[in-house]
Amino acid sequence: MTLRGLWRRRWLSLALLVVAAVTVAAASLGPLYAQAARAAVLRDALDTAPPDHRGWRVTSVRGDAADLARRVSAPYLRPPVPGAELLSPDPRGKKTYPLMWQEGQCGHVTLLRGRCPRSAMEIMVTRASGFRVGADVKLTSITTREDGEERLVPLRVVGIYRADPGDPFWFGRNLFPQTAGVSEGNGDPLLTVPETQARSGLPTGASAADAAAGNAWTGYAIVYTDPRVIGGGDLAGLESAHARLAGMGRSGDAVTVFTHMDDTLTRIRRQTDSLSVPVTLVTLQLVALGWLLLFLTVRDLVAARAPETALARLRGLSTARVWAFGLSEPVVLLLAALPLGLAAAWAVAARLAGEFLRADVPVTLDGPTALYGPAAVAGGLLAAAAAAWSAITRPVVEQWRRTPRARRRTWIPEAVVLALTGVGLVELLAGGPISGSAGQNTGALLAPGLLAVAFALLARRLLPLACAALFRLTRSHGGIAPFLAVRQIARGSATGSTVIVLGAGLGLAVFAVAAWSVTSRNFAEVARVHNGAETVFVVRAGDAATLRRVSAGIPGSAPVVRMPGPPVMLATDPARFAAVALWRPSYAGGRALEDLTPRLTAPVAPRVPLIGDRIRARLAVGDIPHGWTIVLFASVRVPGQDRPSVLPLARPEHGRMVYEWGLPPACRTGTCELRGLRVQSTPTGTSDFEHPPGDLGVVGLDVRRDGRWAALDAGLTDRARWRPAVAGQAGLVLSMSPWAGAAGGAGAAVPATFPDPLPALTSGTPGNRKLPGLDDAFASGYVPAVPAAAVPGLDAAGGVVDIELADRAAYGYSDKAEFEIWAAPSRAGAVLAGLRAAGVPVLATRTTAGLRTGYASEGPGLALILLVVAAGAAALLALGRAVLALYAAARRRTLELAALEAAGARAGPLRRSLLIEQAVTLTWAGLTGVLAGVTAARVALPRVPEFAEPPLTPALAYTIVPGPVVLVAAAALAACLVAAAATAELLLRGVRVERLREAPA
Amino acid sequence: MTAPANAAVRCDGVVQIYKTREIEVVALRDIDLVVEDGESVALLGPSGAGKSTLLWLLAGLLRPSAGRLWLGGAEVGRLGPRALDRLRAAQIGVVMQNPARNLIPYASAAQNVAFAQRAVRRRARRPAGELLERVGLTSVRDRPAGLLSGGEQQRLAVAIALANRPRLLLADEPTSQLDAESGRAVVELIKEMGPTSVVVTHDPRVSEAMSRTVTIRDGRIGAEGRDGEDFVVIGREGAVQLPPEYHELLPPGSMARVEPLRDGVILRRAGE
Repeated sequence: MTLRGLWRRRWLSLALLVVAAVTVAAASLGPLYAQAARAAVLRDALDTAPPDHRGWRVTSVRGDAADLARRVSAPYLRPPVPGAELLSPDPRGKKTYPLMWQEGQCGHVTLLRGRCPRSAMEIMVTRASGFRVGADVKLTSITTREDGEERLVPLRVVGIYRADPGDPFWFGRNLFPQTAGVSEGNGDPLLTVPETQARSGLPTGASAADAAAGNAWTGYAIVYTDPRVIGGGDLAGLESAHARLAGMGRSGDAVTVFTHMDDTLTRIRRQTDSLSVPVTLVTLQLVALGWLLLFLTVRDLVAARAPETALARLRGLSTARVWAFGLSEPVVLLLAALPLGLAAAWAVAARLAGEFLRADVPVTLDGPTALYGPAAVAGGLLAAAAAAWSAITRPVVEQWRRTPRARRRTWIPEAVVLALTGVGLVELLAGGPISGSAGQNTGALLAPGLLAVAFALLARRLLPLACAALFRLTRSHGGIAPFLAVRQIARGSATGSTVIVLGAGLGLAVFAVAAWSVTSRNFAEVARVHNGAETVFVVRAGDAATLRRVSAGIPGSAPVVRMPGPPVMLATDPARFAAVALWRPSYAGGRALEDLTPRLTAPVAPRVPLIGDRIRARLAVGDIPHGWTIVLFASVRVPGQDRPSVLPLARPEHGRMVYEWGLPPACRTGTCELRGLRVQSTPTGTSDFEHPPGDLGVVGLDVRRDGRWAALDAGLTDRARWRPAVAGQAGLVLSMSPWAGAAGGAGAAVPATFPDPLPALTSGTPGNRKLPGLDDAFASGYVPAVPAAAVPGLDAAGGVVDIELADRAAYGYSDKAEFEIWAAPSRAGAVLAGLRAAGVPVLATRTTAGLRTGYASEGPGLALILLVVAAGAAALLALGRAVLALYAAARRRTLELAALEAAGARAGPLRRSLLIEQAVTLTWAGLTGVLAGVTAARVALPRVPEFAEPPLTPALAYTIVPGPVVLVAAAALAACLVAAAATAELLLRGVRVERLREAPA
Repeated sequence: MTAPANAAVRCDGVVQIYKTREIEVVALRDIDLVVEDGESVALLGPSGAGKSTLLWLLAGLLRPSAGRLWLGGAEVGRLGPRALDRLRAAQIGVVMQNPARNLIPYASAAQNVAFAQRAVRRRARRPAGELLERVGLTSVRDRPAGLLSGGEQQRLAVAIALANRPRLLLADEPTSQLDAESGRAVVELIKEMGPTSVVVTHDPRVSEAMSRTVTIRDGRIGAEGRDGEDFVVIGREGAVQLPPEYHELLPPGSMARVEPLRDGVILRRAGE
């Protein structure tokens, strides 16, 4: 009978089934997707982390390290890779070799000659070690006692191997110094087999000190996480495993644990937390809206069965039976909706995961996530019970007589909602950005949804009042259509739920669209600023001149050297930068970049190049009292170095004029540069401080090249070429007094080949901070020649400087310097072709589109996608439900319409009346939704994280993008009006005078 | 005061007031009525007189606002909701106006009977097949009730009302939407199968078929008819409702002189 009943009310049943299934799906989708996204975050983080950031190396000099490591097991932890190591010098004490074995080592080396060791005392070595196959290698720690005498045991070389130091198998250790050419007493590993350890005779149970001294083996085990099997719910387990493993290292000196897993876990936790907040926000609000829709739809279904329920009570069925009978259909539908909703959630989550997450992330419906669906159904059951309460407890006679019931205290739940909204708003406005999904933040998280409902509740109250105010007007104007319409709306019963549902649903949809558009704009803006240009090619490090030359040959490109900060420094060709960088005049008070970049250059003195093998100084040495030792140092920039070479150019003596010193070897073939002269005065015990040394005049400088001395154009007589201005007719005059500064002199001077501080296009306030410089020496300050709100290429405070000046200010290039070629918009292909033609290999390419995609793949971005998808579905449901409710309410009035028609009212005014009524209701609800969504967006968006790591620059904008909001609102209103017209027409066609005969007594 | 053992219904000064948001409506006032076991009573009166209200009171769906009502010896005012449910399930069968309202339209005829029997023990139930055969619906027992004709629906409604062997059968306009033949069949059914029955009707054929008629006007019992003869009923305070056919002689609002006789009084228009 239940199934027959469902079929009889098939459209209403279908509506309830869809609403329930969507509610279950909405409740499950967020957790399912979040779980998959967490898995993706975990796997990405572990995949891209260096070996020591995604595993542990447990070492023990006493116990079995592998046994220790096995105590912590989890499906996502690979089995420990055991190994052991003995640090031992060779007998001559020239080098210390790690004699080691690691399980599986033969699979991770390339054998160049020979074979892998198989027996005790066999080893394989690297080519850089210089040992040959068949040679015997002796280490001081591998000995045997024969005839009471300690003898070294030879280790036979059976193979020569090459290993990839980047192979995670070696746990990122710097094990191969000889191969890398940086050996300083350390040799490459001598790889052997465990039997060698057993036969070495070295004691176990030694201390860490013994191991360090080469008197004991150190056992170790490497444990890696397995990103292929780790799931979104494993983060807590991984943290626990890390805590246990790391805890072993703190238990005593016998066990040490090497890992940087803390950093990785912190990064993962930050990402997953940033995912949790918006997902919780989305899920809670959608489920709340789903329950509201469920309540209303179940109420409709129960109301449709009210005559049958009354019949059951008339026949004397017990209360329990009446409840069972009344709820049987909603319960069947809710139970059927559970698997449907879960399946839909799984399908959508899988689709979203396939679209936005890595391919190998499974979407699994495990225990905790599967509970959300039943929880939503349980909410639906409560809604069903609440909805059925009125129909089931209403006296049968009232049901038949259609007696209006006494007004219920509906203001109580409304007051609760408004109070909760207030609390949520206070939380939201008083707190900073939301970072966690638990505790007191919950109220704030619910604020957007509550705000939408609160607006809808208020609008529902206001609409009848507004219509009541029009009573007098419609009595005398407009005919019967508006007269009937405003009275019907003023009754409130038919329009209340429509305004609430549509207002709340559309409010949420508008909030979602506003959030999406604002966040997308921020993604685009941050990507623009952080990338600097539409496409950035990272090229092999070199020098500024080469980079400029390459760029000069490629139209639409700019050379940029990036130094990480803080503060971040970009060194570039200002003119080319202006032509290529993504700039907005609003960044700097409406000015074009072309007008600003000329300020980055400054008049400077020519450089003082040094090419040769010796440097000579001609000095005018003043009086040097007894007891003072004076040294004149020259600072020289040397190619290939990032620090200056300081040459003790002269130890001036009174009466002697000429001094010379050797230049660094690199200056013979490359161009060195004189970067400064400095006098160092050292007093001795007999120094006379009352009479310090006088001035030292640097009259001339010469460089010897190919055996010939040539005068150096150092501008020693030009005040403008040295800083401070101590140059003059007598040459460069430096004070030899230790109190030179106090006496107005200077003990040091540098060629004024660059301004200090450097003029920069700055983002943020420099204060007294120094720029890192190309040599990462943080030697030069910078001054905002042009302060800007945002600067292309800067993801933190810093400045853009002229690459020529930056090069002059630096002593060389740090390893941290990243050499880039920026491409102008739509010039990426041509620039790439130009780079290839110039023979410049491209190491990496960064695009603004790629950065945007990256942001969208972070936790908040992923959650936002979820919000838009789910809120769109919810809004459609709300619209459908609103139209259904209007239809149902109006249908109940067909009797009145039939009576009006019987009384002589024509169909036209009746049609207009219905249309006006429905259009006013739907438009009012739509406008309420738009207002609620926009307000919620304005209040909540600044507090909801958009990036896993909030950008320091540019400042994020939260002004709502009107286009999408207007589009959604217009589409919703248009859909409402079409639906209103259709339902009005349908209803009027069903109005027949014969219907009056069906009226109850 | 208790109900006589052989009375199926006893009303003693029953008053029924409906309360809505703004107003109170007195639907019945000072109803004194006794229906003996086996009696069949037709409730007559104009629309809005209170016939259906009295029927709902007799069905235990309302509690009297004042006065006392006994159904089969049980005083309705003293029964709890559960006891009232049991009373309705086991002792009262109700046929409502508009046959469709008695039925679950998507359930079959047999399912409708079974639905009504859910509330009573198995032994109290009349076998559904036998019942449907008795009302001539065997051939349509599996057809959804909504698809039956008006006459079939009304017969099914009577069958459902009788499904639990009730002591009292209540029917509201059981022939209002039926043609003459179907109406006659339904009346015969009620008379034949019904134990004690109270039928609200405007149909003279139905009232003639009943052993007694009770006419209600303005919430009061105005007249009773027995054996083809109509009597006015003297109310608790001596009130008498003149039948409408005498309103021409004594219009409402006119003055009348009461002249006593040995076995009654005569009313004469004042001034004559």
